[in-house]
Amino acid sequence: MNNAGRLDGLTAKAMRAALVGVAAVAVLPAVQPSSRLAAQAPVPGRATAITNATVVPVVGARIPRGTVVIQDGRIAAVGANVPVPAGAEVIDANGLFVYPGLMDGGTQLGLTEIGNGADGPTDLRELGDFNPHDDALTAVNPFSEIIPTVRVNGITTVLTSPQGNQISGQSALIDLNGWTAREMAELPRAGMIFTYPRAGGGGGFGGGGGGGGQQQTPEQQRERVQREARALRDYLANARAYAEVRSRTTDSASRPPVNLAMEAMIPVMRGESPAIFDVETADQIRGVLSLADSFGLKVILRGASYAWELADTLAARHIPVIVGPTTQLPAPGDPYDMIYANPGVLARAGVQIAFRTNSASDSRNVAYNAALATAYGLDPEEALRALTINPARIFGVQDRLGSIEAGKVANLIVTTGDPLDVRTTMKYVFIRGQSMPFDDVHTREYERWRNRPRPAPRP
Amino acid sequence: MNNAKRLDGVTARSAWACAWSIAALTVLPAVQPSSRVAAQEPPAPPSPFAMPVPPVGRLVAITNATIMTASHGTIPHGTILIRDGRIAAVGADVQVPAGAQVIDATGKYVTPGIIDAHSHTALEAVNEGTQSVTAEVRIEDALRQDPVSLYRELAGGVTSALVLHGSANTIGGQSITIKLRYGLPVDSLIFQGAPPGIKFALGENVRQTNVNIQPGQPRRYPFTRMGVEETLRDAFTRASEYRTRWQAYRADSTAWTRNRSRTRGAEPLPPARDLELDPLVEVMEGRRQVHAHSYRADEILMLINVARDFGFHVNDFTHVLEGYRVADEMVAAGSTGSTFADMWAYKMEAYYAIPHNAALMAERGVVVSVNSDSDERARRLYQEAAKAMHYGGTPEDEALRMITLNPARQLGVSDRVGSIDVGKDADIAIFTGHPFAPGSRVDMTLIDGRVFFDRTTAPTLEARMQQRQPRRPPARAASGGVE
Repeated sequence: MNNAGRLDGLTAKAMRAALVGVAAVAVLPAVQPSSRLAAQAPVPGRATAITNATVVPVVGARIPRGTVVIQDGRIAAVGANVPVPAGAEVIDANGLFVYPGLMDGGTQLGLTEIGNGADGPTDLRELGDFNPHDDALTAVNPFSEIIPTVRVNGITTVLTSPQGNQISGQSALIDLNGWTAREMAELPRAGMIFTYPRAGGGGGFGGGGGGGGQQQTPEQQRERVQREARALRDYLANARAYAEVRSRTTDSASRPPVNLAMEAMIPVMRGESPAIFDVETADQIRGVLSLADSFGLKVILRGASYAWELADTLAARHIPVIVGPTTQLPAPGDPYDMIYANPGVLARAGVQIAFRTNSASDSRNVAYNAALATAYGLDPEEALRALTINPARIFGVQDRLGSIEAGKVANLIVTTGDPLDVRTTMKYVFIRGQSMPFDDVHTREYERWRNRPRPAPRP
Repeated sequence: MNNAKRLDGVTARSAWACAWSIAALTVLPAVQPSSRVAAQEPPAPPSPFAMPVPPVGRLVAITNATIMTASHGTIPHGTILIRDGRIAAVGADVQVPAGAQVIDATGKYVTPGIIDAHSHTALEAVNEGTQSVTAEVRIEDALRQDPVSLYRELAGGVTSALVLHGSANTIGGQSITIKLRYGLPVDSLIFQGAPPGIKFALGENVRQTNVNIQPGQPRRYPFTRMGVEETLRDAFTRASEYRTRWQAYRADSTAWTRNRSRTRGAEPLPPARDLELDPLVEVMEGRRQVHAHSYRADEILMLINVARDFGFHVNDFTHVLEGYRVADEMVAAGSTGSTFADMWAYKMEAYYAIPHNAALMAERGVVVSVNSDSDERARRLYQEAAKAMHYGGTPEDEALRMITLNPARQLGVSDRVGSIDVGKDADIAIFTGHPFAPGSRVDMTLIDGRVFFDRTTAPTLEARMQQRQPRRPPARAASGGVE
């Protein structure tokens, strides 16, 4: 696949903006992603050693002058006195820092290219209220131009999820490099995305489930929320019954007819696949906790701007919260710093937190989302964990990702400083041991136009 | 004609994307914290932020601060002395006179108050979207009393903002520059002496290609970028002729007044006032700034050409996401640029936006500011400005100027605000640390030397949680301290 083919498809859908389409094709980047990727492919068996760096492994203490050895996509060794293997490519990182690659716990990456006015490249929201059998990974476009712009900011792994309705579908945990979506996947099915019903209105948050909250009276909203909550509970009861029948019937003759949606719910009902609930208010969270009690769901909360109200409960029940985006306004009447301060309150109460941007193009700012929280009470070390090891633990991939430890996948960044600091720049981004190129659509346009000659008179 | 009434009437109708998304309007607060609602019924409780007018000669000193002046570097350990709301002295060796109110800023960073060159804050209505030329509309008439958005922006160090009409129209309404004097009567928001302005807009929003048109609803002209240019040329052609009629009238009237003979005839009648064309005449005569919402390079060049043909220049291209492609042309035309730090891909015309835009335009000589266009983003413009350093290697001083002195220059108020210099208004933000560092926040914001935001008295989440603490019974000594 090349850029021209992909953009052509895109413009065909957006034909009413014909002029725009022509312009888009006219400024197509000359370099194809395939050739860039091929040029960077690592030599099998050859090690890379990052030396003289301040290594911040996240799990364990900082190593002031440390070495990280990468081999065959994994971290082969890390420490102060690690020998550089013979024949290794050496990166002298004197004055630089090595961190684990950053993770965004909720994005739309790969599922959308242009937010408004061009529906073609957007695959976020399927029709219907219950779509557990939809998989985000199916629609992830590995060649989205947005992905490299996120990667160059040190984000190496993201959860990408469908959205909307009551059950949106399965999310996928993906590394931000690969020839196919399947290759990118760390977890092809990382968790089922739910939106718990919510009375509309108040602030800039999305309303829950059925929508239309802005136009309804408070009484109508209450009725809608009750109706939707009941529908969700009924759906889960059906899913549990289906799962039980399926587990008891082994021969195909006595099995009930296969229902793809119900099949997709089986791992959720068994507590094997997390149930990831997008919520904001304490009422929604209480509703989710009630469902968790009734059905034994393995719950992860996302968004959760009002989770501070239930911080102790969530900590006691070991329910993780993926907060964010922190770049939202609180509702009128709420404390001015509520969105910024919520993550710190949760972390101090003992809740395991991670961050999300809930965006594609803004995913590159996930560390700066966390930085805002550190200004309002979140411990900076905890903020770093919330971008690395915490999401790895929340999604159950802590044996592979989230820290710099021997044996883990070599998703690493080499930086000039603290990745939460906007002034810090990335020197290297490794995904599965492969050094990523720094030529995304933005750097290409930057290089092209900063070299534009001064306008000269027409000869 | 009552502009305020007309704006009220179309609030619902025009409640759509002001610049980039519908979110801009949905986040407009509808309710204010009850304690701060400006009560019409006496007796009004004194607002905690509505302070009495300070006495003449009032002195305030901010001491022991790291002062980032935006104009002449950083003073590592200095004092700012404020007299009657203006900066009387700044430096490392400034003596604090007896009687001055002292704000000890030990360990803190002080910057000029942040200036947001693209805002829709404090507005009852943003777009008069019924037709594509609405120069007669005044955003000043839609300013609200005490909207909580102002308070929240103060908490992000913002002290001034250019409040613009939305981008629904090729020629939108007249803008207003404000100071965020939250808690004072609504008229006090207006930045007296700031040049008047008007909003122009180009591209997709004007074409309404991102608007859901109901079945049967006619489309509004213009529908293409060709039509946008034609709409501009038509409006300024009418304004030129209108101006000529007034010039002729003034000449006739002067001649008639001077002519004392009995044959001078009847007194000449003035042309009918046209409230739509008056502001356009002011634009052509250099008495009103044009703030032009724009995305693509082609439409920026188009407006530069139209403006040249009608004898004016565009003061600032705002958003200007492809400004990096035509920076030389913008400089040659005397135009500045006010942009987002890194917003992109939210619509087709934002697909070639790059986060290096601010840095690259500045490199090419454009006066650049980084703006919010959002009550939310306005609260963290200091973080947004640092992105020019991250992506384009902009020096720290210049990045700070992108949210202080540069927008002040763009808005024609740099003699009053934008830097920490003697004689300027004491509009100041006090940060807990370096404004670009990750853990820093604003602790205090002053306008005219008066404190309009103070973290120690602010309604924080921590304060809310303490209010909600359930009252516990007194701890029993015998319980072993485990609750």
